[in-house]
Amino acid sequence: MPPRLNLFSANKAVLALRQPTVPSVASRSIALPLRFRAEQTTPAQKRWNSSKKEPNPDEQMFPTQDQLPDVSEEAAEIDRIMNKEKSCDGQPAHPELEQGTPVEEQILQRDEEAMKHMPKVMQQQLKKTKGTRSFSTSTRSNQPGVEDSLQADASAALLADMIQQVNSQALERNPGLKFDAPEIPTKTMNFRKRYDSLQEQFTKMLMQDGKLARAQNNMSIILDHLRTSSAPNPNPRRPLIGGPPAPQLPLDPVLYLTLIVDSVAPLFRIRQVKGIAGGGTAVQIPHPLNLRQRRRAAIKWIIDASDKRRDAQLAHRVANELVSVAEGRSGVWDRRDGQHKMGISGRANLGLAPRRR
Amino acid sequence: MASAWCWSCLSRLRPTTRAFAPTPAATPRITSAPFHSTAVQYANPVKKKSTLVANKYRQGQILKRKKKTKTERARPPAVGERKALRKRIVLSNPNALEIEGMKDLSPETMVDARLRGTVVGLPVATLDRLRAVQAFKPKQGWPIFRRPGTVLRRDTLEMGRLFEKISGDGDALEKGKVVKKIITGSKGSGKTVHLLQAMTMGFLKNWIVITVPDARDLVCGDTAYSPIEGSKPTQYDQPNAVSALLTRTVEANREVLSSLKVSQKHAGLPGLKPTSTLEDLAKLGFQDAALSWKVFQALWAEFNATAAAPGMEKNFEARPPMLVAVDGLAHWMTESAYKASDFTPVHAHDLIFVQHFLSLLKGQSLKNGGMLLYATSTSNNPSSYSLEVGLNQLAARQAGIAPDSEEYPQPENYSKPDSRVLDIFKPDTAKDGLELQTLGGLTRDEARGFLEYFAQSGLLRESVNEEWVGEKWTLSGGGIIGELEKLGRHVRTAAPQPVAQPVAAAN
Repeated sequence: MPPRLNLFSANKAVLALRQPTVPSVASRSIALPLRFRAEQTTPAQKRWNSSKKEPNPDEQMFPTQDQLPDVSEEAAEIDRIMNKEKSCDGQPAHPELEQGTPVEEQILQRDEEAMKHMPKVMQQQLKKTKGTRSFSTSTRSNQPGVEDSLQADASAALLADMIQQVNSQALERNPGLKFDAPEIPTKTMNFRKRYDSLQEQFTKMLMQDGKLARAQNNMSIILDHLRTSSAPNPNPRRPLIGGPPAPQLPLDPVLYLTLIVDSVAPLFRIRQVKGIAGGGTAVQIPHPLNLRQRRRAAIKWIIDASDKRRDAQLAHRVANELVSVAEGRSGVWDRRDGQHKMGISGRANLGLAPRRR
Repeated sequence: MASAWCWSCLSRLRPTTRAFAPTPAATPRITSAPFHSTAVQYANPVKKKSTLVANKYRQGQILKRKKKTKTERARPPAVGERKALRKRIVLSNPNALEIEGMKDLSPETMVDARLRGTVVGLPVATLDRLRAVQAFKPKQGWPIFRRPGTVLRRDTLEMGRLFEKISGDGDALEKGKVVKKIITGSKGSGKTVHLLQAMTMGFLKNWIVITVPDARDLVCGDTAYSPIEGSKPTQYDQPNAVSALLTRTVEANREVLSSLKVSQKHAGLPGLKPTSTLEDLAKLGFQDAALSWKVFQALWAEFNATAAAPGMEKNFEARPPMLVAVDGLAHWMTESAYKASDFTPVHAHDLIFVQHFLSLLKGQSLKNGGMLLYATSTSNNPSSYSLEVGLNQLAARQAGIAPDSEEYPQPENYSKPDSRVLDIFKPDTAKDGLELQTLGGLTRDEARGFLEYFAQSGLLRESVNEEWVGEKWTLSGGGIIGELEKLGRHVRTAAPQPVAQPVAAAN
């Protein structure tokens, strides 16, 4: 048996998680100096050539227009030029450019004389680089502490108590839910459908070559047939489920159709699963169906069975088959019984089936 | 502290030593057996079992697929079975509920304005005769009700009054009048059923009813035709179609025809005796199709006889009024599918059968009075520009626009209108001119009565109230009865009530 857990794919997933997320952070810090540098260098590189149109006097740049860069920028620029080969692509990636550099780092460390004549404040700071910051420089949290204010205010405490009480009550009422469960709108609440859901499903399954209008026409013939043919004479061994007594059925053809389809709808389908019993034999495992799937199976059986009839029109074949189902004569009942028999015997195999997500 | 490293280089630095941080490439390797020199991941993936049949020596791959088994039906439906099914007319549904107190259409009810908007049943005695004149069409919705019935709308009651007048029941002044109407209206507005109501009334009043249930049958090239010798321009006879017309007429009007005796001598009909009835006369026509046109002419002369020929007065009885109903007029306003000897298409007006019925629209055509109802159709209808212009002219004259005024509709220049068609609609000097009747929708009250009929028959499971009827009336394009019928029989259940969601279980 192959291992359940695929280590290959698992590792790939982990890889994806571990991928460093540098670019998202770095791009901001790198991009800014780039733009800045472009602004700086363009005037120097610009060639005035006669073929080009003279720019507006407002747009013109002059060599003296830009003031000299500040100390750190100049240093960076020089550093870039000097160490061009060392930094791989010449990108100035110095974080100092956007943040600015403390004077003591940039100048005073290089210049020992200047260090001596450094202002007093800076000297003091150098001495106590370690330890806690003074209050003035520590960041304050943006929001004032909620707890503090609550403690201070007695009425607020009372309110908090009440909220807690209500919450606990709600928890008792709906265990697992803090609030009432939201009402999920059903499908039919939002818009009105033209046809009954089963009628629509049947019509779509009658459709051939995508010709829906023709299928609808056929469906109306079928319903008219159900409406005009004599009331079914039900077989007591194969009764229709629920509904009004048989003589009343033809007057409500959609209900009649629904009862017929629902009566022969199987409860489950049989899945043939290979490889759990070994020896290459397939194991039959019943798989429950929802309402729409059950109806689909029944409609398919009915349409398949109607193919063997001799009537000239498709609609008449299907309609006659429906009536014979209602009277318990159709082979569709046998098919359903067979399916259920197989499902009952296959119940034992349910434990063998691999669990599906 | 500024580091000696270039910042960008730092960010690209990749740890190489495994202990420090395992590289992503190193992780997937399953090194369960460290003495293997080849990593597991380089091994070939495990092949799936192929669905193809295994290769044998010197044999190509064979793809075996199951063939779809086609269920063979024993034999195709018999010849004509499908058409019979298509044309089948069913007039009763035993499952539908019987409506208590439903009135029949009768000489009294057809003029009773109090019954306007109610559905009255067609009298059972007339059903066979109506079938004989092919008044019912498939797909008119007859098969879903217990018995056929029609709604008494305004136009129906007006027509009922006309029948009464022409029959001479009300005042004698109007007796023997000829009403010539062309009935138009949008699709589903009830033109054909209007004709059916007229036929029923004709039967009830003991009129002679002659119908052409589908004008197309005469021009679509399905029946035999032969040129009439000596006619100029050449006219064509359709013996089988005339024979069928005679059959219809006799079957539907047997009672009237058998009571009337021949009043003239007709040349070329050797089998005719002076004492024979009109039924006998008509029968000559459908026994021998070659004689049919002559018989029809003789019969027509008898229908229109106001007095007997000298020497035959003994058996003469006054002839009843006549109803002539034609459905699908536009087919007669173009060229037919028949070909002349030089292979040019034959104009519909050159067919003598067609020409006869169209000529009735001119002058005092029915000597004993009666009604001509020629309805247009909107389904399977040829477009005829000249007919359109002609009908517009008719409508304009009816609205009081003089034919010489500028507003009078004329065919457009270079449109090559068919002058023979336009001639039909030219103003007539006769006293009883041609009229145009346009059928519209039902009123709301009539629509309500009609929909209540569905509800009472058990076909409609809604409460028919003012609001609901108003909705359906609007949906049906202002009470177009064909659309109302669709809405009435439309099978739709109310949307299911939303099911309450179960409360989610804890965790």
